[in-house]
Amino acid sequence: MVSDALAEALDLTTFWEYREVLLRGLAFNVYTFLAAATVSIAIGLAAALLRVNRLRPLRWAGTVHVELFRNAPDYIMVVWVHFVLPLLLGKLLGSRIEFDPFVSAVIALGFVYSGYFAETFRTGIQAIPLGHLEAARACGMSERQILWRITLPQVVRRMLPEAVNIFVSQFKATTIISLIAVPDLMYRVGMVLQQEMKPLPLYTGAALTYFIVVYLFAGTVRALSERWRNRIYA
Amino acid sequence: MSNWERLVWNQREVLLKGFLVTVEICLIAFAIAVVGGMLLCLVRLYVKPLKPLAVLLIEFFRATPIFVQLMWVAYVWPEIFGWPGTFFAAGCVALGVQSSGYLAETFRAGIEAIPRGHREAGYSVGMSPPQVFRRIVLPQTLLASAPSIVNQFTVIVKSSTLVSVITVQDLMFQALKLVTVWYEPIEILTVTAGIYIGFVFLVSLAGKTLADRLRLRYGLAAA
Amino acid sequence: MHVESGVDAVPAIRVVDLHKRFGTLDVLRGVSFDVRRGDVVSMIGASGSGKSTLLRCINRLETPSSGEVYIDGEPMGHRGQGDAKARSLAEINMMRRDLGMVFQQFNLWPHMTVLGNVIEAPIRVRGMSRREATALGEECLARVHLEEKSKEYPARLSGGQQQRVAIARALAMRPKAMLFDEPTSSLDPELTDEVLVVMRELAADGTTMIVVTHEMGFAREASDRVLFLHNGLIEEEGPPSQVFGAPKSERCRQFLSKHVQ
Repeated sequence: MVSDALAEALDLTTFWEYREVLLRGLAFNVYTFLAAATVSIAIGLAAALLRVNRLRPLRWAGTVHVELFRNAPDYIMVVWVHFVLPLLLGKLLGSRIEFDPFVSAVIALGFVYSGYFAETFRTGIQAIPLGHLEAARACGMSERQILWRITLPQVVRRMLPEAVNIFVSQFKATTIISLIAVPDLMYRVGMVLQQEMKPLPLYTGAALTYFIVVYLFAGTVRALSERWRNRIYA
Repeated sequence: MSNWERLVWNQREVLLKGFLVTVEICLIAFAIAVVGGMLLCLVRLYVKPLKPLAVLLIEFFRATPIFVQLMWVAYVWPEIFGWPGTFFAAGCVALGVQSSGYLAETFRAGIEAIPRGHREAGYSVGMSPPQVFRRIVLPQTLLASAPSIVNQFTVIVKSSTLVSVITVQDLMFQALKLVTVWYEPIEILTVTAGIYIGFVFLVSLAGKTLADRLRLRYGLAAA
Repeated sequence: MHVESGVDAVPAIRVVDLHKRFGTLDVLRGVSFDVRRGDVVSMIGASGSGKSTLLRCINRLETPSSGEVYIDGEPMGHRGQGDAKARSLAEINMMRRDLGMVFQQFNLWPHMTVLGNVIEAPIRVRGMSRREATALGEECLARVHLEEKSKEYPARLSGGQQQRVAIARALAMRPKAMLFDEPTSSLDPELTDEVLVVMRELAADGTTMIVVTHEMGFAREASDRVLFLHNGLIEEEGPPSQVFGAPKSERCRQFLSKHVQ
């Protein structure tokens, strides 16, 4: 009986039959990830710059940002952005607003993971020896030039391994967007399930697919970032 | 103001009940994660023939999204293994094994970071290998891993929101149920998010304080 | 008188034709010597000459490729009395209690207090009660002049103090002999004296000791015998007056001229 169930779970023909539909679902995971990651990096960098600012209120705002989003569960944030944020904005603007599920997903996952990026950026910025900045100032570089030419290139190098970890988590988090009806892989698995009623191979197939994708993605990105680091800074 | 009272304050008992379920699941999952992580780590390091299996499990648990794993454990495991029998148990197990993969790697790093001489010092005074592990390797590993262990607990709390999907009646489940009843999500979802954020914040704060205290006590440099 | 010399006929440590090979590297190539009870033997030689490996083979942190070590006439590697069966790890552990080891890197356990480090083995290995072990531990800490530090954690002590705690930890097992593996080599020069003072006191108390060291002053003044190792063999051996005063080997002479001011 155990072996029967196991054989059924590992018999992925059903999963394979629907490969096109499911693959298009996986594409949604990738789109969401790419969009959300871009949002995270931009907002994370901004928040990190707030945290190393001279003005205390700005530093404080940066800290609130980090603590708020790093401690927030992905799921509640996705739900909140999808169901609450449009209502609040609608009240503010006096009109009825609705978010496309994809937009909600990108906003929510973008903001949540910006908290992690902010911390990583900040540690990277603060790890740069003061002497490097003083040397740049002595050459007459402006603060903006120093940020882009001296600080950030070093920060990016330092934070790469940690950034890869955040990307991996963020990609994995995109599976929950099915819960607000973004038609990603898990959402489509659910739909196929209603027709086929075969949870064993479908869920096993989904788990294996994500495992392979995440594993390969993480391995590739790690290898690439390692190579890039070595080539530039060896 | 009356909205808050009607939608949140009057529902406090339901929310509290859900919150307690959340805490219960997280604690059970955490216990599974610590014990399972240590077992996986020990097998990987010390049981040669089973090492590939341990590595595969660790990588699988780590690389599979928690939501997918949760569905998989809840709907596939009972058919194959005849277990876990309830969605509650499935939630605990799925959250637990995911974190056990991460903790196994944390523990391994901790064990490998202990200088070989600490073990040799134990052998040289006649301690047996199990004694050396229990008295010298394990405490140091746990001490070094303390921040990661606490962090893993916060990961469990955050992921636990997903057990509501398989109808476990945790805080998230109760909140979503109230939303479908009243169809007024602003107050209830905001408060629920606040509870989760506050809870995770307090847990990490307590964890950091504890880790700092331990380091201070043993005279080790702050992390 | 007769009986005493009979007991003395069995050396505290006897090393017989010890070989150790790491892959293709012959680190020890047949080393034999005796250490009589109460003797202090210093081992000197360039790094890579095999002295630390020899010490680690004696208490079997390294397994010798061939040869045997006898503690009080008992072979470490096999059962003895005609029984050639190799000893189990548990048996070797039993015998290791008789050899106190002091490491170059101290190797104090950072999660235990100073006293905790010292009483760990008496409690866990000897099965002493905590009361007994504490009394013993305090006595041992007193011998290294650190009784006031017993509640501290190792990371708060200086290197010299840590090494003295490590000596106390070894003493607490009441070993038949003490092995010192370059005990002052990772210490700042100003901290070596406090460790050497303790070691001289132990020597004066009649403790059997093997000391691998670069401290020529200690080897010359505190030891009964000096071994000069070169390339895995004992190149020169004798009382310090002879080894330092009139070495027969050319290599030993060269080594000493570099290391003795």
